[in-house]
Amino acid sequence: MDKAASILIIEDEPQIRVAVRDALREVADRIGEAATGAEGLHAAASERPELVVLDLGLPDSAGVDVCRELRRLLTSPIIVLSARHSEDEKVLLLNAGADDYVTKPFSVLELAARARAQLRRARSSAAAPSPVTLHGLTIEPATRRVDRDGRQIHLTPIEWQILHTLVTAGGRTLTHQQIFDAVWSRQFGSPQQYLRVHITNLRRKIESDPASPRIVITEPGVGYRADVVR
Amino acid sequence: MTTALPRGAPPGAGTSLGRLRERLASLDIPLTQTPPRLAWFFWLAVLGIGTFAMYSVQARIDQAHVVLLYLLIVLGASASGGRALGLTLAVVAFILIDYLFQPPYNEFAIGKPLDWLVLLAFLTTAIVATQLLARARAEAIEARARAIEVTSLSRLASETLNAGRAEDALVRMLEVIQSTLGVSGCVIWPWSPDRGVGECITRDGIEPKRRAPNPLVQRVAERGEPLTLSVDDGLGAEHSAPGARELFLPLGVQSRVVGVLALSDEQPIVFDPPKQRFLAALTYYAALGIDRARLVREAEHAAALREADRLKDNLLASVSHDLRTPLTTIKALAQTAALRGDTAAAAIEEQADRLTRLVADLLDLSRMKGDAFRVTPDINTAEDLIGAAQRQAQGLLGDGKMIRTVVDLESPALVGRFDFTHSLRILGNLLENALRYTPAAGSVELGVRRDGDALVFTVADNGPGIPAAESERIFQPFYRHADTAPDVGRAGLGLSIARRLAEIQQGSLTYEPRPGGGSVFVLTLPAVDIEED
Repeated sequence: MDKAASILIIEDEPQIRVAVRDALREVADRIGEAATGAEGLHAAASERPELVVLDLGLPDSAGVDVCRELRRLLTSPIIVLSARHSEDEKVLLLNAGADDYVTKPFSVLELAARARAQLRRARSSAAAPSPVTLHGLTIEPATRRVDRDGRQIHLTPIEWQILHTLVTAGGRTLTHQQIFDAVWSRQFGSPQQYLRVHITNLRRKIESDPASPRIVITEPGVGYRADVVR
Repeated sequence: MTTALPRGAPPGAGTSLGRLRERLASLDIPLTQTPPRLAWFFWLAVLGIGTFAMYSVQARIDQAHVVLLYLLIVLGASASGGRALGLTLAVVAFILIDYLFQPPYNEFAIGKPLDWLVLLAFLTTAIVATQLLARARAEAIEARARAIEVTSLSRLASETLNAGRAEDALVRMLEVIQSTLGVSGCVIWPWSPDRGVGECITRDGIEPKRRAPNPLVQRVAERGEPLTLSVDDGLGAEHSAPGARELFLPLGVQSRVVGVLALSDEQPIVFDPPKQRFLAALTYYAALGIDRARLVREAEHAAALREADRLKDNLLASVSHDLRTPLTTIKALAQTAALRGDTAAAAIEEQADRLTRLVADLLDLSRMKGDAFRVTPDINTAEDLIGAAQRQAQGLLGDGKMIRTVVDLESPALVGRFDFTHSLRILGNLLENALRYTPAAGSVELGVRRDGDALVFTVADNGPGIPAAESERIFQPFYRHADTAPDVGRAGLGLSIARRLAEIQQGSLTYEPRPGGGSVFVLTLPAVDIEED
């Protein structure tokens, strides 16, 4: 895989910046660094990085605000580093446009792997919709056809919408709210609270072992993702 | 020690002493008043002079004039000297009329039947008038006493409600009690069942250093009964009410004793019924005052607790940030160095990971102590939870160990209302333990079923199991199996936190031995029935 042209690291601790830069040296040609939110937004606007690694504990501004601002500026993936182990915070960040989050202390190897996955996904999602194959399951977006081992699987419209939404996100974790918005189009009154029940029923149809799912993965307390790229 | 006053009867204000009597004259109700000697001399003299004057002109006056003058004298005497004097004069006048003014004169005989009528009419009128006067007088005094009581009580009530600090209200109240009852000493000891006797409140304010006659105050408060002491008896001696020099009265609000009022005087303290009634009202206000002081204190305490809680939240957040940031740097740099082939760096990384776990344990412990686990129950399916738990435990598999799931995929999905993250943490902890104790190439069984209103998750291993004696202790914080080396694993909080997390979601976590050997941990969570669309 080709290296990314540039990556931006927004992190106030110099030592962690060094560690992250070392970890991502193989992933990108050029690595920009910023120590504050304002600096980071400025660099993002001028350099248009292909990936941003954003630390939440910045001295000058709330991480969520920086994330939202970055999302307005860029379509590039954003990986958030957080010292707090809080699902609520993850949900907040994903809803604010982050693509992935890593909790401190993290493994540099894992960070590099996540960065690569995000770059790959960002490039492939630009391509036209095409059949996707996941663990023996073939999904054909154009014809809304789902097959396992040559046998067609019948999904309800909601199940199809959920699967399609997750697969289209290309392995990105979608929060419950994001899935609601995509599937029910903000129609309140529909049984949104049963999303988890629909997911369970969907898994019974598409997974080879529904009690040990491999296609639709639960991100506890946050949402779901399809195991598309990793 | 006998109780001075009958239970339930309000203790009263006392006046067997001249000094007290004077000070409290306005409150005394003189139903058995003995008139001053002066009034007797005066009215007897008036009677004598009147009789002499009329007798000297006996020939020229009518019997009716005599009767009317005597009536006037009797009424005047009973108005100023009281009932006894009035009645005495009425009888004397009766005899004088018969003896001196009715024929036959100078003997106790009645001449005409009409004279009988005059005599009886006089006596009846004199007695009835005397009685009416005495009653009116008593009622006037009583009314004045009531008015003074009401004024004092309303003053006390407004003190209770308006004083800036609750303690100030009690001090003012003591002033009123002491001045009204005329005792020389008067203090309040607040009391509560859990805190015992509090700091003494006197007319000069709170006196923290003053030592309570603890056993006595404690005893009065616990029994809710008054107690009297005579100085001669010494502490703890039995004594009945008359002659008491110290009186301890329980102060109660809604049948709760909140303190003790201690009265003392150089002379025996004895209260009559109206004083007892008045004192009962006073003690009730004093009790309300103490209760108000307690409520104010509790409100302040609650505010302080909230502030402490907020500080702790902030501390938790900053500890988690401040400790994890350097750990992140250490781990990242060590890992990078290890990748370059530095073997010592791998050890650094390992220790950094261990420190990270300890930080997590500490945070958990402080959350557990402070009730800081937040729970957000949601509609979730059992299968989703089982799948996530199994996925999370994949990293722990080794030595050919495996996890087997027992889920009924034919029936409709099992649904419950629980916090997914907390429940996952419980199952994750149970799976981690089970995998640790199950022998190599063994399998851990993870299952779920519906039982009534509950989803029942089971994690079963075929490890050594847990002795019956230990099966509850394992859920206590810092429990560690006797065979476990001190530096293995974590702080021993896992199961205690897991149980706590289950309980805050209206679930439970229990242990039972597995038939044929091994352990079964049973987690129940609330199940719900939903309508599928």
